[in-house]
Amino acid sequence: MAAQPKEIAGQRPSYLAEGGLVGWLTTIDHKRVAVLYGLSSLFFLFVGGFEALLVRTQLAVPNNHLLSADTYNQMFTMHGTTMIFMVIMPLEIGFFANFLIPLMIGARDVAFPRINALSFWVFIFGALFMNAGWLWHALPDAGWFGYANLTERYYSPGMNIDLWDIGLLILGVSTLLSGLNFFVTIVNMRCPGMTFMRMPMFMWAMLVTTVLILLAFPALTVGLIFLFLDRFIGTHFYVAALGATPILWQHLFWIFGHPEVYIMALPAFGIISEILPVFSRKPLFGYAGMAYALVLIAFLSYGVWGHHMFSTGMGPVADATFSITSMLIAVPTGIKIFSWIATVWGGKLRMTTAMYFALAFILEFTIGGLSGVMHASPPIDLQQTDSYFIVAHFHYVLFGGMMFAILGAFFYWWPKITGRLLDEKLGRWQFWLTVIGFNGTFFPMHFLGVLGMPRRIYTYPAGMGWTFWNSFETACAYLLGVAFLIFLVNLVRSLRSEQAVGDDPWDARTLEWSVGSPPPAHNFDDIVTVRGRDAFWLMKYGSHDAPGHDSSAGARASAAHAEAGHAHVHLPAPSWYPLLFAAGLLVMGVGAMTWLRVVFLGAGLLLVSIVGMGFEYATYGQETEESRATFFRGVDSRKMGMWAFLGSECVFFACLISTYMVYKARNLGGPDAAVLDIPLTSFSTFVLLTSSLLMVLALAAIQRGDRKWSAIWLFGTAGFGLVFLGGQVYEFSKLYLVEHLAMQDNLFGQTFYTLVGTHGTHVAIGVVWLFVMAFAALKGKLQQSRSLAVEIAGLYWHFVDIVWIVIFTLVYLMRSIKEA
Amino acid sequence: MNPHEGAQALEHEHPQAPVYLAVAVVLTVLTVLEIAVFYAPFLQPVLVPLLIVLALAKFVLVAMFYMHLHYDAGVFTSLFGFPLLLALLIGASLLMLFAYLAAHLSPVIPYL
Repeated sequence: MAAQPKEIAGQRPSYLAEGGLVGWLTTIDHKRVAVLYGLSSLFFLFVGGFEALLVRTQLAVPNNHLLSADTYNQMFTMHGTTMIFMVIMPLEIGFFANFLIPLMIGARDVAFPRINALSFWVFIFGALFMNAGWLWHALPDAGWFGYANLTERYYSPGMNIDLWDIGLLILGVSTLLSGLNFFVTIVNMRCPGMTFMRMPMFMWAMLVTTVLILLAFPALTVGLIFLFLDRFIGTHFYVAALGATPILWQHLFWIFGHPEVYIMALPAFGIISEILPVFSRKPLFGYAGMAYALVLIAFLSYGVWGHHMFSTGMGPVADATFSITSMLIAVPTGIKIFSWIATVWGGKLRMTTAMYFALAFILEFTIGGLSGVMHASPPIDLQQTDSYFIVAHFHYVLFGGMMFAILGAFFYWWPKITGRLLDEKLGRWQFWLTVIGFNGTFFPMHFLGVLGMPRRIYTYPAGMGWTFWNSFETACAYLLGVAFLIFLVNLVRSLRSEQAVGDDPWDARTLEWSVGSPPPAHNFDDIVTVRGRDAFWLMKYGSHDAPGHDSSAGARASAAHAEAGHAHVHLPAPSWYPLLFAAGLLVMGVGAMTWLRVVFLGAGLLLVSIVGMGFEYATYGQETEESRATFFRGVDSRKMGMWAFLGSECVFFACLISTYMVYKARNLGGPDAAVLDIPLTSFSTFVLLTSSLLMVLALAAIQRGDRKWSAIWLFGTAGFGLVFLGGQVYEFSKLYLVEHLAMQDNLFGQTFYTLVGTHGTHVAIGVVWLFVMAFAALKGKLQQSRSLAVEIAGLYWHFVDIVWIVIFTLVYLMRSIKEA
Repeated sequence: MNPHEGAQALEHEHPQAPVYLAVAVVLTVLTVLEIAVFYAPFLQPVLVPLLIVLALAKFVLVAMFYMHLHYDAGVFTSLFGFPLLLALLIGASLLMLFAYLAAHLSPVIPYL
């Protein structure tokens, strides 16, 4: 299955040059993966738009029964879910960022090309999985926020919510892997000279976005796992029985949900920050302030989730805190808006369609931002919550903000991606229809909200005073639909056009425009050396004699490459494993809903593809000097990736542990923490600590080239892991058989088994990993030069150990502490 | 000049077996102390702070020596430290929010 890396020898073929179905199925080129994302997301854009038009058609007149209430619920749920998870995020992150990050930072590809392809296949399978409900009229129907306890089996017995829950878990895997990949790429793969403060603002936006992804998605994952257990195992995480509360879902969802808004918004901010300077022929105003504002927005976004929950009664202290943080976040956002205006101010404006969309973005997003600040005030929020005012607000943010930026990005970067221009005249038609259609559809929703029209109602009686605006909005929504049809025609016409565009049609400022349109497969012929912000602009108009190259180490490397006729540009080989991995995940999802044994088949596929990918890369652990030279502070990408993943895991376990502590205090009866076996788990603790010792001894052995002892210590570590797991199996069996504590019995049981079981699953994954490494060492495939592989496995193993240190203390040794 | 060259903060050599063994001994002693604290009746009033301090010490030892944060580039400490801080804040916030919920709303709506 493994193919050899391809060498580029002097020629510059476009990344689109070599086609074929197999080529696309096995591609790991970031540009091709981006195109796959783009095509899929455009398809879902029209699916989501169709759902929106059905919703609007249903609401056009009172007492309408075109759609049943059930179908309406499915349509508005899938519209929101589709637009967020299958359109805006994948277009911004999967398409534009994927295509542009390596090109903008002067890299040949992303840090982990296979994981990049894997992210796409997981994404598309997850999206198709969720949309499978079309076949059985069983699409998810509880809103994109999936509020408990509407999502419980009792209230939603069909497969609708199962598809949503499992589908989102699958999509979450894709997003998390993309976030990890792009984070490491931006930090570690920048070309010489590309310091953080010289990066294009889009790169800053993506860097901060990836941090948000890594630290926000774990909360959603935990919430979805609880929902999965409620629906499939019969636990009661969100049922107001046995002491549980549906409020838990709201907290977990919005801990993710509000950063999610910025996961969508920040890339849009970055896009606008690229378009405006180019078409104003001025540098971006207030670069440093813009970058710091992004960081501040991201930091504050974790402290504002409660403003979605003022109506749940969190108390005056919490209300005041969330209110203040929500208002504060307007400050860095305001810095950005003023900086964009200042960028345009006094510039020599070129009014292209991209510029039109960028300028409209500022206005529309500001309207959405201002109504957002209103919701930071609890008394006002209580009046507006669950009304159409909220629908107006978030559409001004998501459509007026994100979608306008995305459309601008299409017009701006399309020539680079395809080598063809989009038609400006059609673009102008699309722009004005979009502006009129958008504002006509969503601005009157403010009025409807104030008039008391609630969200999520499938019809309404006549005489409420809502009819005119609803009919007007529906007509405007169709206008919006026409605008997108024009967009589609423009895309197709452009692709069929024979007229090629130059490398730099906009006289742009950033590095991606220094390569061909479309770019060659290897991106850059030589390592680029950057001497300032707006790197390509400096190359073109700077006073330097040799644009883009100087006498630094990077330049010397470039010269060496030039002399060698680019003979040493290695492109990683295509791979089937990413597709296989995603198929495994899909099979597991289908198995969970149909036949449990199928889950094991899917897990088998996952295992095979992970191990396959691990051994596929022929130069694994033997990076070239070229790539090593640009590593951030000499740090290896894989090690950085593992640390970023462990950071993400901190939030994951924090959500699990705090749920345990909250629910332990609310346990209403039956066995509680008093039944926990301290001597047994003390023994397990010593076992796990010993395994950690063996792990570092294995690392020390491989680092000094002692393969034999490395293998022995690795087997020892895995063996102790197995003993720990054996202890856990014994403990669970004893609790179930002797103490009669089932997972479904009470809050203590369900949170205990979930928390400790999740940790055990991590241990089990680690044991498999260690056994694979131990056998690799035994077979001589793990040499001293690849000691990093052992170190990375060790980091994971020690993290599992420190999580156990926390669990042992909070769950076991503090078992007598009732209140958290 | 390669800007990263000036900022090189290359990792120090990782320790060898004697350091790892010493850390293992300390971890063992701390775990024994934890268990002793759990079983000692006279320490029950200060059980929580004592156990937290001991667990924290173990946590830090594993992270610093077995995970090499003490020896490796500072960027890893940031990569782990910031999420850890955020996780603690989220956890603490959830505990306080639910404590309020339990204290103020339970008498009215028993199981909310």
